[in-house]
Amino acid sequence: MRASDRRRKTSSTVVLYVIILVAFQLFLVTVAMEAFQTDAESLAWATAAVSVVLAGAAAAFLRYLRP
Amino acid sequence: MTDERVTQLPTPVWRRDFPYEAASEEEVTRREFARYLVLGAGTIAVANVGIAVWTQLRTINTGEPRALVALTDVAIGEPFLFRYPNKNDPAILVRLADREVVAFSQKCTHLGCVVYFEAGQDRWHCPCHEGNFEARTGRVISGPPTRPLGRIDVEIRDDGQIWALGKPQ
Repeated sequence: MRASDRRRKTSSTVVLYVIILVAFQLFLVTVAMEAFQTDAESLAWATAAVSVVLAGAAAAFLRYLRP
Repeated sequence: MTDERVTQLPTPVWRRDFPYEAASEEEVTRREFARYLVLGAGTIAVANVGIAVWTQLRTINTGEPRALVALTDVAIGEPFLFRYPNKNDPAILVRLADREVVAFSQKCTHLGCVVYFEAGQDRWHCPCHEGNFEARTGRVISGPPTRPLGRIDVEIRDDGQIWALGKPQ
């Protein structure tokens, strides 16, 4: 496999990972809204923490994309 | 002649059928697309933190103490509806005995439906998913809820009024 093909495949994979992370983030919004509706503070904070970690992970994936 | 060869991809059918191009069609690279996604992920994360802060701040048993109703206006076994700590928070109190009053948020801790007092069963009942809570403590008796009802501290004062005590935020 040529280097350019490998890089392209890597960047496609990275974008796919980021898409999955964003989809999971959208799911977390629904969890947070449910926590809000039921006054579940601990669930809301746990959701926020996971959401921040996922956003950080998505940002970290950007390093693997070629400029 | 150089080794660089330009790979010419065949024109897709849809391009032949719709030969229109937007000015910026070719400008979004894969990296830019990923950046937009990451930006969206960051925005969602900030929103989730905001929701958590909001949830924390709107705890039911906070707010300014205030008189709710005169004790004599509430019959034993009868509920009284009010809003506390603000007008968006439905709450309910019930007089269980002559000098015993309890109050809770009216929102079921399962999915936020409104709970009602069932005097005959001595419990709070949520008709949406058949959740039941103890009348005095608000603890879950049965059904899908896993957390007790949000309790509002109340007391009967010397002037005969029932007061919601709240807690300073």
